[in-house]
Amino acid sequence: MRILLAIDDTDNLESRGTGAIATLIAEGMQQKGWGTASFITRHQLLVHPDIPYTSHNSAMCFVAEIGAGCLDQVIAFASDFLDHECAEGSDPGLCVAVLDRMASAPELIAFGQRAKLEVISMPEAFALAGRLGVHLSEHGGTGQGVIGALAGAGLRLWGNDGRMKGSLEIAGPGVLLRVADLLQHPNVEAVRCVQGGVVGEDDLVEMGEKPKTVMRDGASVLLVSAAKLDGGAVSWRTLPRKELRGY
Amino acid sequence: MWRTDQAGAREFTLGKESWAAAARAALDCPRFAADVDEEMVDDERSCYNCRYRRWSAASFTCQGF
Repeated sequence: MRILLAIDDTDNLESRGTGAIATLIAEGMQQKGWGTASFITRHQLLVHPDIPYTSHNSAMCFVAEIGAGCLDQVIAFASDFLDHECAEGSDPGLCVAVLDRMASAPELIAFGQRAKLEVISMPEAFALAGRLGVHLSEHGGTGQGVIGALAGAGLRLWGNDGRMKGSLEIAGPGVLLRVADLLQHPNVEAVRCVQGGVVGEDDLVEMGEKPKTVMRDGASVLLVSAAKLDGGAVSWRTLPRKELRGY
Repeated sequence: MWRTDQAGAREFTLGKESWAAAARAALDCPRFAADVDEEMVDDERSCYNCRYRRWSAASFTCQGF
């Protein structure tokens, strides 16, 4: 079965980040033979004075394909991990959604979209999770992270929000790669021009520092912008971090 | 470049798109500490990349001092 696993609010100013915790949960799940996890995505939620967050208010989510009888084990493992590994002063939340058992995917997506725009309460998050049949649990502190965890799952399901945690380990800065070769990477499902231009499979892309994909139309997309090579030929370049901030 | 906001926090007055100023401010800052990779928004040392910056709607406050 395919699941979404999302977490939020696991860190403090000095601790490892929520992305590192998500990575450890994904790796632990795989080591125990319960399933395989996708790359992790980071989802920006609302920054507002009424929302307690450490420094950025982002949630982390991954998709996993797990064995039919492994759901309870995965939830117990992730819960235990959050109970014991999250930073002091954090308010962790965990969401695990089974895609083909969810009562209403559009409702979960709408919740995620709202969490980017509005302050949402914990009771509302729990009520929606209960109605949808989605696991949602708090793991210390105020438990406020349940809101971001549920929202993170909804935004990943939407497929039009978030950027990948980490970067594509594919080639160093300045290296030119054909689009067709980039598409061989398991985490690159499409290469698109950020301004809307057409990118051909034989076109060249100049790799920048730590290239990342973003989620668009349900796919992991490497965004590029037009660049000129020394010889004048048109090619593309990956976007620097500052141009990916809005994703 | 900095002011004290209503809560007493040190707020960067130039917003979220003053890349050069945020990089300059971080250059000599004794408290600068790079944030985790997924929260970095620039490729150079910058207050925007510091783990002690706390984003707000319009800018960020510095929690390093």
